[in-house]
Amino acid sequence: MGGLFSTKAVTKKYGGLTAVSEVSIDLDPGELVGVIGPNGAGKTTLFNLITGADTCTTGTVHFGGENVTGLRDFERARLGMARTFQNIRLWPLMTALDNVRTVYQGARGNGGLGAVLRTPGFRRSEAEIRERAMTLLERMGLQEHAELIAVDLPYGEQRKLEICRALALEPTLLLLDEPAAGMNPTEKSDLMHTVDQLRSELDLTVLLIEHDMKFVMGICERIYVLDHGEEIARGTPAEIRENPKVIEAYLGGSD
Amino acid sequence: MAAGGLLTLAIDLGPDGFWWMNLLFLVAIYAMLGLSLNLINGYAGMFSLGHHGFWAIGAYGAAWFTIQFAGTMPGPLVFILSCLFAMGVAAISGLLIGLPCLRLRGDYLAIATLGFGEIIRIAIQNSDKDVLGGSLGLAVPRVIMDVNRESKGDFRVLMVGVAFAIVVLMAWGIRNYIRSAKGRAMLAVAQDETAAGLLGINPTRSKVTAFVIASTLAGLAGAIYAHYQGNVTPLEFGFMEMVKIFLIVVLGGMGSLSGCVVAAFLLIFVEQWLAKLPPEAGFFKDWWQVEYAFILVLLMIFRPRGIFGPREISDVVRSLRRKFSRGAAGENS
Repeated sequence: MGGLFSTKAVTKKYGGLTAVSEVSIDLDPGELVGVIGPNGAGKTTLFNLITGADTCTTGTVHFGGENVTGLRDFERARLGMARTFQNIRLWPLMTALDNVRTVYQGARGNGGLGAVLRTPGFRRSEAEIRERAMTLLERMGLQEHAELIAVDLPYGEQRKLEICRALALEPTLLLLDEPAAGMNPTEKSDLMHTVDQLRSELDLTVLLIEHDMKFVMGICERIYVLDHGEEIARGTPAEIRENPKVIEAYLGGSD
Repeated sequence: MAAGGLLTLAIDLGPDGFWWMNLLFLVAIYAMLGLSLNLINGYAGMFSLGHHGFWAIGAYGAAWFTIQFAGTMPGPLVFILSCLFAMGVAAISGLLIGLPCLRLRGDYLAIATLGFGEIIRIAIQNSDKDVLGGSLGLAVPRVIMDVNRESKGDFRVLMVGVAFAIVVLMAWGIRNYIRSAKGRAMLAVAQDETAAGLLGINPTRSKVTAFVIASTLAGLAGAIYAHYQGNVTPLEFGFMEMVKIFLIVVLGGMGSLSGCVVAAFLLIFVEQWLAKLPPEAGFFKDWWQVEYAFILVLLMIFRPRGIFGPREISDVVRSLRRKFSRGAAGENS
C-alpha cells in the first residue's frame, strides 16, 4: 500500500476547529479511490492539504516516494499532481484551448525572446502544444468549443474542460473534487465512464470526491469515508455499504 | 463659433510645426509608458502606481551614462548604449522593488508601488549635485547630432521617428509575448491565481517577470525622453505623470495595445492644446486644468471600460466592417 501516494496523519486546525484530523490515505498506482462524507466532513480541505493549496498543521504528504509536505502548490503540481475544483475555477476569460495549453509543462520555457521574435523554434513548439491540447479537447468531446471563452461554455462542458486542463499537466495522480456536481444522471454516468477510461489510457491514479453514493459505489475500487474531519471507515464499496458508522453518518445518528 | 475660434488659435500656435512635433514626441513617450504599464495593470492583473519612478530611473540612467561617456565614443553608439544602460538599471530596480512588493495584492500593492515611485523621485531630488544634479537636474549632452537653431527641426523629426519606431516595436513585442506560454501563464495568474498555482504555474515568478519587463520598457521611455529634452529634472516625474499614464491605460482599455496608443494621443493632445491656449482665450486659458479634468471625467463616464474596451483597433474595424457589409447585403436583397 502507499506505492504512489500517501498522507500520514494529516491534520488541519483553524483556530479551535479541526477540519481534518489525522487522516491517512494510501494509493497504489492505477487505483481509482473515492473519498465520501457528508457536507463539512473535510473532504475539500483534505484535497487542499494534498495539493498544497493549504498547509498541514501536522502530518506529512508523500508523493512518488518523496515527502512533498514542504513543497509549494506549483511544485507539487509539476511532480504530476493535478486537480479540479468543486466550484469551477477555469481561467474565465481565456478560450478553452488556451485554458488547456497554458498548463503543458513542455511549453513553459516558451516565452522570452523566442516568443517576442517569433523564432521558428518557438513556432514549432507552439504548434506542437496546440496540437496536443486539441487532441485532449477532442478526447473529452470539446473540440468544437476550442475557441470559445471558458465562461461562455455550458456548465457541464466547463466541468469537462477542467478535467481536460488537469490532464494537460500530464499527471500521474488526478484529484477530482466533485466532478459530476450539478450534472444529471446520464451525464454523470457518461463522465464516470470517461474518467475510468482515461485512467487506463493514461496510467492515472484517481482520487475522487463525490456526494452521490450510487455513483461512487459504481466505479471506485476503494472508498474512504470522512465525517467531522475524521476517517470513520475505509474499504471496498460492498464493505462501506454495510458499515453501520457510515449509515449513521449519512442518515443521521441519535446523538 | 467660439469653438471654431479656439481651433484656429490652436493651429496658429505652431506655424513651424514645432508644436506638433513636440506633441507627437510626447504622445510616443506616453504611449510607451502606457503600453508597459498595461502589462502590469492590464494583462498581469496587478495594480502598480509606481511606473513614473521607473521612467525617472531610465531618464536619469541615460543622462548619467551620456554625461560619463559623451565624446569617448561615436555619438549614436553612446545613445544606444545609454538606452541599454537605462533599461538595465530600470530592470534591476524593478526586480528589487517587485520582489518584496508583489507579495501584496490589490490596493496594498498600489500603495507600496506608489511609495517606491515617490521615493525614487525624492531620492533623486535630494541627491548629491555632482552625481544626479539634485533638484536642478542634469543636462544631457547631445550625442546623436548637433542641436542648434537650424538643426532643431531635423532633430525633433528624427526623435519622433525613433520614438514611434520604438512604440511599434514595443506593441508588437508585448503582443507576441502575451501570445506565448509565458504570456498565457501571466493571464492565468491574473484570472485565478489559486488555480494557476495548483496547475503548476509559479504565480510569484510570473508577476515579477511582468513587473520587471514593464519597468525595463519604462526605463527605455525615460532614456529616449532624456535625450530629446536635453535635460532631466526630478519635477518632471511627479505623481501627476503617474496619473496620466494610468489614465492612458484605463482610457485605452485594460489589455488593449492599440487603444493605449490612441488614448495617449487623445490625452496628450487635449492637455497640450489647452495648456497652449493664448491669453485671448481668457476663461478657457485660465481654467485649462479644470477643463482637462472635466474631459477626463466625461470620458470615464461614457467609456468606463476604455475607448475600445479590451479589444484592439483591428477587432473594432473588423466588427464594423461586418456590420457594414451586413447592412449592404440587406439593401441588396
